Amino acid sequence: MNNQAIVSVSDLHKTYGGKNEKQYEALKGINFDVQPGEFVGIMGASGSGKTTLLNMLATLDRPTSGSVKINDQDVTKLKGNKIADFRANEIGFIFQDFNLLETLTAEENIALPLSLQGVRRSAINQAVNAVATTLSIEDLLKKYPTELSGGQKQRVAAARAIVHKPALLLGDEPTGALDSNSARELLELLTDINQKQGVSVLLVTHDPFSASFCDRILFIKDGVIGQELKRNGDSRTEFYQNILEKLGTFEQ
Amino acid sequence: MLFRLALSNIKNRIRDYIVLLTGLVMSSAIFYMFANLATNEDFIKTNASFKFAVPVFYFGEVLLAIITFIYVMYANSFLLNMRLHDYGLFMMLGAKKRRVGSLMVLETLTVGVIATALGLVLGVALTGGISGLLFDHLGIVLHHFNPFYLKALLTTVLLYLILFVIAAIFNLQSLIRTPVLKLLNQTDSVDKIKVRGFGLFFSGILGVVLVGIGYYVLHEIVVFQLMAIPIALVTIVLGSYLIFRSSMTLIIHWLKGTGWARHKLNNFTLSQIMFRIRDYTKILTITSLLFALALGAITVGSGFNRQIDWMAKMSSSYTLAVNNPTTQEQKLMTQLTGTKIVSYDQKFVGKNVIYNEDQFVQNPFMVVKYEKAKDGTVKAPKTVPISVQKLKSDVNDQLDFLGLAGRTGVEPSFQKTNQFNQINANNNSVSVITVKNIGVNRDVLTKLNNLQNKAHPQESISGIGVGSFQAYLVISSMYGGLEFIGYFLGIAFLAMLASCLMFKILSGTRQDAIRYNLLSKVGTRRSLLRQSINREIFVLFAVPGILGIVDVLFGLQMFKPILDKPYYNIQYPILIFIGLYLIYYFLTTWLYKLIVLPKKKK
Ligand SMILES: Nc1ncnc2c1ncn2[C@@H]1O[C@H](COP(=O)(O)OP(=O)(O)OP(=O)(O)O)[C@@H](O)[C@H]1O
Ligand SMILES: [Mg+2]
Repeated sequence: MNNQAIVSVSDLHKTYGGKNEKQYEALKGINFDVQPGEFVGIMGASGSGKTTLLNMLATLDRPTSGSVKINDQDVTKLKGNKIADFRANEIGFIFQDFNLLETLTAEENIALPLSLQGVRRSAINQAVNAVATTLSIEDLLKKYPTELSGGQKQRVAAARAIVHKPALLLGDEPTGALDSNSARELLELLTDINQKQGVSVLLVTHDPFSASFCDRILFIKDGVIGQELKRNGDSRTEFYQNILEKLGTFEQ
Repeated sequence: MLFRLALSNIKNRIRDYIVLLTGLVMSSAIFYMFANLATNEDFIKTNASFKFAVPVFYFGEVLLAIITFIYVMYANSFLLNMRLHDYGLFMMLGAKKRRVGSLMVLETLTVGVIATALGLVLGVALTGGISGLLFDHLGIVLHHFNPFYLKALLTTVLLYLILFVIAAIFNLQSLIRTPVLKLLNQTDSVDKIKVRGFGLFFSGILGVVLVGIGYYVLHEIVVFQLMAIPIALVTIVLGSYLIFRSSMTLIIHWLKGTGWARHKLNNFTLSQIMFRIRDYTKILTITSLLFALALGAITVGSGFNRQIDWMAKMSSSYTLAVNNPTTQEQKLMTQLTGTKIVSYDQKFVGKNVIYNEDQFVQNPFMVVKYEKAKDGTVKAPKTVPISVQKLKSDVNDQLDFLGLAGRTGVEPSFQKTNQFNQINANNNSVSVITVKNIGVNRDVLTKLNNLQNKAHPQESISGIGVGSFQAYLVISSMYGGLEFIGYFLGIAFLAMLASCLMFKILSGTRQDAIRYNLLSKVGTRRSLLRQSINREIFVLFAVPGILGIVDVLFGLQMFKPILDKPYYNIQYPILIFIGLYLIYYFLTTWLYKLIVLPKKKK
């Protein structure tokens, strides 16, 4: 396999259901790599296995067989504290439903990953302020999540996902609950983070508009990767058209 | 159709319903336990031989009814939160408001009936079990006491009926008032806490003043008489509430500003506590009050227990005198603990009992010395040796000494060893037994006493004056009832307290599960999550516990008129209590973690 790849998935299978339950094979042998600094999208119909795949990458669930290497480390073999530390150090998440802790202010939410790593207070403050400036949410820091709009919450969530400078940023439909303006803003932000900080991004989406921000798109169908679409330097609008065409043929 | 839908919903939320029912069942069981004593006037009159007994129980009952009311309202709002969303959904799907409303009333009442019925069964069982245990342990025989007492049963049923009808009406109101859309979007959102330093500070001061007033009237109970109890109740409850609200908010706010808060999960834990404290202030106040009541009851109970030993020891310098001990009796005597046994020879001549003077020089006879402390209270009984001369001179005042003869109507006198040996009469002897703790040796002493009574039947000289064990038997039949009430109530209150707090903490788990799941997703170690939970629940337990102990320390003032030294050895009941309380703490954290922590993946 390619050693430089930041993510390397090979022959990944996932079957749901225990011994005495109904079995359902959601992933049937997935293979792909993500290069450092790449912005990759994963598209597919509802129920095609996108969330299942992302959960494997994020160590939220275990595959039935196959391996997932992130930074040359097989994350499917991790256990207990190692899993926790991997999540805390190597990856950042953005979820569809924000997942902010409503008992903490925006600032405290963002600081959480650093606090978990035992970073010193002054360093935490510095990092939080820096990321808040990048995402232009300085004014929101003292507010509680209930006082924020959906778009603002997602920005805070994005800040929390990148404050500890993870190698890989994972997003499961992060724009799913946003209106088109907020969605565009968030995607531009992700592109910016991807380009300026060199963070690799893996984005699950079913929305062609979101997908058009990616460098490369993997189409998943019935648990396997059916096709791949590369941007190859096209403008976003051109790429958007390509995606729509591809979806037209792919979904049939 | 709607009914079936409601039923299927109950099935899905079985865990929540179990928590709800457990809480309610515990509360009705405990109320029954208390009512069993409180509504039984015959029992109180025969067993609680102090002036305020009946009114004290009456106040206790009212207090418990208020607590139960708040408790049931809590449980009900838990039920309401759980169901409002479903009912909103039914209405959106076209169900009529009236139909949904009657369904809700039906559900509330069903929960109430089931909880009360189960609670009564449990209550009778608990009353029987605990009283049995206490009787065995304390050796008390009580009259007019029966685990199953109809009047208490009816009182409990009546109270819970009223409470659940109120709850049902309340639920109906909130169902009718709330628009469907709001019902659907009901998420238990967390409000922002505004910390207004000055206001909080002021209300904190007000709280301290109120609590101070409460303690003052308890201290001066002789002046305020019965009024002291309701005044103290209101001021202490209100004061504790204010103190909680302001001090906890201020402390947490201050802690959050420190560097410590930024370490690991500390900030999260603090925020959890902060939001909890707010939501919990009421229940924490109740908890601290219950804690105080429970601890107070047990302290007073053990106070009476000590009183029995004490008063018995006041009455005589030795525990039991055994005349001419048989081998069986000698064997029994070796089974006693903490004993001092002195043996004197006796010869009976006519109407006289003659002792060997030299034996009394060697092992002086002991008498009780009464001492008063500076504040006028009687000090712990002390025994001091008495000289033979003194014994001779006021022999008729030394009832303890007269009692050694084992029979009445004989005059004691003394002879030196030589003359004593020459007296032509049967050799008799008496063994004077003194034990440190009568209660511990009760069983052996009873056997010895029975054997003596058989061998040397005597017309009772009112039981007092022939060894403190006789006095012990008389006094413990007097005070035993009070002791029993103290322990019984202490345990009942503690159980109520624990279920109150546990229920409240567990009822918040639905929200917390989401939070802990999220924390684990962003890479928090399990050990850290556990630590955070332990700390959070510890604070929720510790704060009312501490306030409760302080409450007790002041509240015991109230017992000054009937108990000699309410504070004597107070550390023991407190320690026992903390032990029991800790068990509840561990149980709660265990249950909490079971529900809240994300499942481990194999
Ligand atoms: N915990 C589970 N147990 C059993 N089957 C599951 C479980 N989670 C998902 N599935 C099944 O696996 C398949 C893939 O689900 P997945 O959530 O990955 O879809 P998705 O691509 O994310 O869909 P969507 O776009 O709707 O979010 C679905 O058919 C689903 O029913
Ligand atoms: Mg999905």
